[in-house]
Amino acid sequence: MMIRTLAIAWLTLRGTIRSKLLLSLASLLVVGLVGLPLLISGDNTLAGQIQVILNYTMTFATAILSITTLGIACGGFSSEIQDRRLYMVITKPLHRYELWLGKWLGLMALNLALLVLTGLIMSAMANHSIRSASDSPAMKRHVSEQFLISHRSLAPLTPDWSQSAGETTQRLIQSGRAPKAMTFANIQQRVSDDLLMRHFTVPPGGSLELSFACPPHKRNSHELILNYKFDSTRPERTPVAARWAIGTDPAHLTYIGVTNYPGIPASLAIETDLLAATNLLTVTYQRLDAGSQATLLMADKTQTPELLVPSGGFGMNLIRGLFIILCRLVFLAALGLTVGCLFSTPVALFTACFIVVLLASSGYVESVATSGVFYIPHEGAAPVQTWLDRAILHLFQGFSMVTHPISRLDPVPLLAAGREISGLMALQALGWLVGLYSAVTALAGIALFNRRELG
Amino acid sequence: MGEHNELIIEARKLSKVFLDFWNRPKVKAVNGIDLEIRQGEIFGLLGPNGSGKSTTIKMILGLLYPTSGELTVLGKSPRDVAAKAKIGFMPEESYLYKYLTAEEHLNFYANLYGLSGNTKTTIVETLINQVGLNAAKHRPIGEFSKGMARRVGLAQCLLNDPDLILLDEPTSGLDPIACREVKDLLLSLAKQGKTILVCSHHLADMQDICDRVAILLNGTICAQGSVKELLINPDTLRLSLQSPPRETLSAILNYIEQETGQRPNVDHAGRTLESVYIETVTRRTPNP
Repeated sequence: MMIRTLAIAWLTLRGTIRSKLLLSLASLLVVGLVGLPLLISGDNTLAGQIQVILNYTMTFATAILSITTLGIACGGFSSEIQDRRLYMVITKPLHRYELWLGKWLGLMALNLALLVLTGLIMSAMANHSIRSASDSPAMKRHVSEQFLISHRSLAPLTPDWSQSAGETTQRLIQSGRAPKAMTFANIQQRVSDDLLMRHFTVPPGGSLELSFACPPHKRNSHELILNYKFDSTRPERTPVAARWAIGTDPAHLTYIGVTNYPGIPASLAIETDLLAATNLLTVTYQRLDAGSQATLLMADKTQTPELLVPSGGFGMNLIRGLFIILCRLVFLAALGLTVGCLFSTPVALFTACFIVVLLASSGYVESVATSGVFYIPHEGAAPVQTWLDRAILHLFQGFSMVTHPISRLDPVPLLAAGREISGLMALQALGWLVGLYSAVTALAGIALFNRRELG
Repeated sequence: MGEHNELIIEARKLSKVFLDFWNRPKVKAVNGIDLEIRQGEIFGLLGPNGSGKSTTIKMILGLLYPTSGELTVLGKSPRDVAAKAKIGFMPEESYLYKYLTAEEHLNFYANLYGLSGNTKTTIVETLINQVGLNAAKHRPIGEFSKGMARRVGLAQCLLNDPDLILLDEPTSGLDPIACREVKDLLLSLAKQGKTILVCSHHLADMQDICDRVAILLNGTICAQGSVKELLINPDTLRLSLQSPPRETLSAILNYIEQETGQRPNVDHAGRTLESVYIETVTRRTPNP
């Protein structure tokens, strides 16, 4: 079986080489990956430039490879059926699944080669940009620490307020102050969000202590990065003077003064030797503007301050990111080949694009699936849900269940923010995208191709 | 025809109906045909365009699935991979990959037959020589003439030393000498016990090589039998002899007329244009 499958794979790959498709794609990638950072200046900082390289170029490469994979896969069978070249192959002693798998493998080999090229260019560009920048060595080091090292994100330790949230919810319902249309779980969630926000509130002249349980860490190595952002209760966006006190022993605190604007993300580099022996990092935000009218809110229900802890090198992180993209391309290839078994090339391409657009709109589908489908006849009235609303809701919930794992597995934002793309995430991509979605699509494709007459 | 009796292709009430988008019958391309082709035979499928020849061949190859009836090829279902391993197929057009060279093509198909190593190399080289493409084996197929591409098609059809060879218009696009070579090759293959099913519009070629033929019309077999049986007119006799003196010929004719009451037609024995062409070209082409 293997020799025949590999022969088909090699033919597919050779076709892209001889038809100069591989060369064209490689050239396009080189021009795009090198040219995009020159065209998009970002925020004119070194950090912004590195983010452009990591974010835009990776997105560009992913888009180009996705479109190409879908295009080649859709024509993989349909064009050969149309010009009858497949007659010569299918009449040879090979099972149709071998032919299918061979084409799939060939496409993957093409993608792998182009992804390796993408990774090499991105890596070289990012390193070159930092080395050749006119910024100070300290800034270069900071940017390098921020983006060219993978970081694990740690949330601050917070009290477990699920019990008090439950009790508060119970009281709200009993006193009749809770909205009647909302379920217990929804009210409890809102109460929890409220408690969280209260916890992260900093009044004028007040302070907020944050503790992070860090994993065992090598001292004097890469720095830790504290990311935070706050909103103000006042509409005016005046700067807030404050300082961060690092440590717990009042006699040995390290202070770092900061001035931040509401709504603007800020980050603070912390040397690793400030970590306590227990690997607990305690930092306190102390406002120095006692006369201010504004109360600051340092969290919302989706985002709290975070501590980025170095967890590995850029190279391995990039490889894991590219691997996840390859898993996505594996799925796209399976999808293209499957619809290509059924339709002519243009129809197959249209159908595959339609399915991809559906999958890409998973964010909207998920929001509908979680928030529900209903209408409110007038203000204050209870929401009304018809059978059609319920049917649509079930449809969206089912679709959301299918697309949720795919939408979670996007390595680009993580890579662009210097976040760790964990081995677990790569394994999840392999399991979900290759082991489940691609395998199911491939099985369907092979079954359809087996039934297909080639007259 | 060889002395073998093993059934290689057997069709019983074989039918193929093409359906439209709504699954309604559109065309009955093959309508309940019975076919028996035995080992060592060269069997010709004749018929006008749309008579069902290609559909029948495609069903034998497992490209199309019969709507009803039974079809076995080498004792197995046409879709059986084991059966396909013993079949060689050359379609009417050489549907080849333009970016591959002749040698790469044959290597690729050899891989599909599971050939590898020295065996593959030897077979590929032998066939390239046999079809006369040694000088052009490294050129991409896209640069080939139709005739050269047909030679690649023929070579790939013989890669697996097949027991059954299916040929759709095998001499189409070939010059008369190549055409003669192909016909000779087919005759020698049949002598080796290979079974050959040919589908062609070139009736002279079919007459030259086929042991038996079937004539298809509107999906049904109108006539079937050995070429000799079909061509013989039992009511008419032809005498051939070296041209005698005029007086002798006149005496013979008078005698026949006297005995039978019919005056026989007399003309010179003709040659086929093919034999004249081959003789002329062969005589004037310098030996390589």
